[in-house]
Amino acid sequence: MEVTCSLSADAAIVAPVGRVDEASWEEFGAHLARGIEEASNHSRDTLIVDLSQIEYMSSRGLRALTMAKQEGLAAGVSVRLAAPNDIMREILAISRYDKLFAVDDVPPASGAAD
Amino acid sequence: MSATIVRFWGTRGVIPCAATAREVREKIANALVIAREAAIESREDALRFIDSELDFASNATYGGATSCVEIESGDDAFFICDMGSGLQNFGREAQRLVRRGRRGKFNIFLSHLHWDHIMGLPSFLPALDDGCAIVIHAGHADAEEALRRQQEETYCSTPFDAFAATIDFVTMEPGREIEVDGLRVTAMLQDHPGGSFGYRFVDPASRRIVYSTDSEHRIDDMEREDAFTFFFRDADLVICDTMYSLAASNSAKEDRGHSSNLVAIDLCRQAGARRLAMFHHDPLHGDEEIQRMHEDSLRYEKLTRGDAALEVLCAYDGLEIAL
Repeated sequence: MEVTCSLSADAAIVAPVGRVDEASWEEFGAHLARGIEEASNHSRDTLIVDLSQIEYMSSRGLRALTMAKQEGLAAGVSVRLAAPNDIMREILAISRYDKLFAVDDVPPASGAAD
Repeated sequence: MSATIVRFWGTRGVIPCAATAREVREKIANALVIAREAAIESREDALRFIDSELDFASNATYGGATSCVEIESGDDAFFICDMGSGLQNFGREAQRLVRRGRRGKFNIFLSHLHWDHIMGLPSFLPALDDGCAIVIHAGHADAEEALRRQQEETYCSTPFDAFAATIDFVTMEPGREIEVDGLRVTAMLQDHPGGSFGYRFVDPASRRIVYSTDSEHRIDDMEREDAFTFFFRDADLVICDTMYSLAASNSAKEDRGHSSNLVAIDLCRQAGARRLAMFHHDPLHGDEEIQRMHEDSLRYEKLTRGDAALEVLCAYDGLEIAL
């Protein structure tokens, strides 16, 4: 899994590429935590997780999203999901995470990679 | 060596429930509409039509009895996981077999002492038979006290001491394997209010069955999850609490002590298990909702499948699985 982190005018953006599974969920979670910190440090109130390049995400990856949501709540940063591809859209529906998170159809406005 | 058979006598969680007259009428009406152009001339035709044209939620029901699973294996003793309301029908069938000569020895393994897992004892016919012997294995040292309390006249008309069968208690030590009438059994402590215990059974042919209900898998405790992967390792069948969706188990239903279909699938896959039986269905869910959760689970398994497929079954009252 590779992860790109950036800042746009409105939000911190985390964009993972590949599989988020038993082998990579910890790294994914660490990037989410860092994204929340970046958003908070740079006066952004939103973290957007770009799901367009995810191959698949297991329950451990999904639970890392829940932890990020809880951490974000404490830091005043809301976590949104964006641009899920077909597989991710299905996984979000199966897990009912589409009820737990705001999901934007379009990719986040790009920011400069840090 | 003969097959080990797992029979589900109760698959519901929390409280027994039953389909209402209205729900049964709806199923019949829908089936008749679908059947209006089918050439059904005989009962055999009708059964064929039911199997080929109607999905499970339309042609049957998952049932509403609470947790009770029988493992038929080893020698002729009975093995039962939990004494939910499904124990009543099991007891009726077992008593019939005992009258025909089967040994009346009942090895019961209790996940915990919450009501939905013990409420079948007062209606368990073999307990009234002085030729029967019941051994109740539990991780909770106060199991006898709890079951005696359930029989007090405030709650029940039959006092515990009126049971004619001999009833003994064995406190299981987590992680320590014991042998019981031909089956090797290990208990594991699980996360549930008051604590619960999963059981891993290994039969003489090394077939492995795991019973893991009322077990929460928390988002911030993955080390504990690794311990479950070990407990489920190479299982031929894992019977697993799948009461909630992943989102519900991590939010509104957090701390209730239950798991989700997605976590069960991932644990089974990591453990190299062959088959998962979804279990402990939410009593607030109708047949269509449970079927939808099963379909979702099948799809998730397919989307996230690696080298080996995991067979995902949805347990219902009356299901038999031969291993």
